[in-house]
Amino acid sequence: MTADGRGQPARTASGTRAAITALQAALAAEQAASYGYGIVGAHLSGSGFAQASADCVAHERARDVLEQLILALGGSPQPAPAAYDLPVTVRSAAEAVTLAVLLEHQVARAYLAMVALPEPRLRSLGARGLRDTAVRAAQWTGRPEAFPGLPPPARRPGRG
Amino acid sequence: MTADPTRRLVLAAASSGLLLLAGCRGVEALGRPPGPGPGVAQLRRAITAEEAMVRTYQAALAALGGHARAAALAGELLAQHQEHLVALRSRLVLPGGSRLARPPAPSAPLPLGSGRRAVISALATAERDAAARLLGLLPAAPPELAQLMASIGASEAGHAAVLDPAALA
Repeated sequence: MTADGRGQPARTASGTRAAITALQAALAAEQAASYGYGIVGAHLSGSGFAQASADCVAHERARDVLEQLILALGGSPQPAPAAYDLPVTVRSAAEAVTLAVLLEHQVARAYLAMVALPEPRLRSLGARGLRDTAVRAAQWTGRPEAFPGLPPPARRPGRG
Repeated sequence: MTADPTRRLVLAAASSGLLLLAGCRGVEALGRPPGPGPGVAQLRRAITAEEAMVRTYQAALAALGGHARAAALAGELLAQHQEHLVALRSRLVLPGGSRLARPPAPSAPLPLGSGRRAVISALATAERDAAARLLGLLPAAPPELAQLMASIGASEAGHAAVLDPAALA
């Protein structure tokens, strides 16, 4: 439409491939989170268990949305692996919370990559996914982060 | 290791531009300056909003003087907003004479109400509003700026999640 970037970008074959790649990465992260939160919940009780259950459902819903989007773009959603090597061994409630936060960080990075896509709808979906993951991580730790999803060197451009 | 050709090009373009400017009496001699680059308007709005958040937190800290826990949290969140502001300002590079280089008039800080609960609730609302506004700026921003603004918006939503008046009694 216009050359200034305000128009709706035309979808090209390479643009669709890039979108599908980013969506598959987000799907893989959501699949891992859906699996991992089962382990998180198994080591928690009371309000911690309730929070893990709610977060698990949120990740499963996000996973389903991503699958539908990949299908709509003509891609094939990659199946989830049967099991995962967890980044931490979980034997206690504290380790369960550590795993929950690591899962959220992984999901955050995948959604941040989606924000770089040109399609406003996918960019917005990535930003909302990133927002939700930051909220869940903050609820687990009580300490929100300044730059969720961004790698450390990009976080403090004024200092290094 | 080979040098990044893109960066080289940018540096060459920047330095020739400076030489050109230095040889003239003023920017006006170059004719009408080009319009602001993509994302500048969004970046300016994000900076203005972040400046307002910093002022709001400074006012909140003063109002929360007697509440140690709430004031400590507000202090931590204020520090993150200052980091957001540094990151956003570092992306804004404008020629000195540009109309956009002049900062817009600061907006009034948000009304905070009185009492710990009212202040914490007002901060949570301000954080949620700021996060929602940043979401609205994303479609027209270049990809890297969109990622920074999305990350800052997510951070603000995380702030709102821990600003719970009942938990901070």
